[in-house]
Amino acid sequence: MNNTSKSLAIINAKAPYSSTAGKDALDIALIFGSFEQTVSLFFQGEGVWQLIRKQDGSIISVKDYLKTFAAFEFYDIKNVYVCQSSLKERNLSESFHIDNIKVLNQQDFATELTSHHLILRF
Amino acid sequence: MKTLHIVRQSAFNTNDLAQCMQVLGNDDVIAFIDDGCYNLQHSLINNIDRDKNIKLTAIEQHASARAININKDVCTKITMNDLVSLTFENDRVITWQ
Repeated sequence: MNNTSKSLAIINAKAPYSSTAGKDALDIALIFGSFEQTVSLFFQGEGVWQLIRKQDGSIISVKDYLKTFAAFEFYDIKNVYVCQSSLKERNLSESFHIDNIKVLNQQDFATELTSHHLILRF
Repeated sequence: MKTLHIVRQSAFNTNDLAQCMQVLGNDDVIAFIDDGCYNLQHSLINNIDRDKNIKLTAIEQHASARAININKDVCTKITMNDLVSLTFENDRVITWQ
């Protein structure tokens, strides 16, 4: 990373279908990725629901933006982090619909997050 | 490297403050604004790690409008101008909303 570029962290903190927050976060991430900016995604609290397998928004007539997560690699988005305690609170396993997700404990999650210059939360 | 955490929601209504507290670092600053001022009445703020030297602030107008008393031993009263200054004094800002 050169001195002129700043790294962006995006915190996803909402469940996928009750609001447009998750889709908005995805759009921002892909735009930054398109312009070869460093972007990392963080999933915390209700946001972890965005990562579980076998979701299908079409059943409730919601466009399924979650499938686009599979394109992260194409957009050079390599850093996807999940809060371990948020998973545990919801009785969720570390099994996700995309690969290469890093599950972090509270301390490591905070350290990674605050290593970025800019942080947006959706 | 310090972070300013702007908390805009009440912990009686959302988990925002709890999630904020999970990522607090040494010498971070929390600014309670809007409904975030209700957090001054919530027991959660007693759980903030004192060892990390976290500074609590709240917009005086926002708290007064909600009849929330700011205990100066716990929290510093600030103005909107102070909030703008805080965004410059800290290395990054996270808005919890």
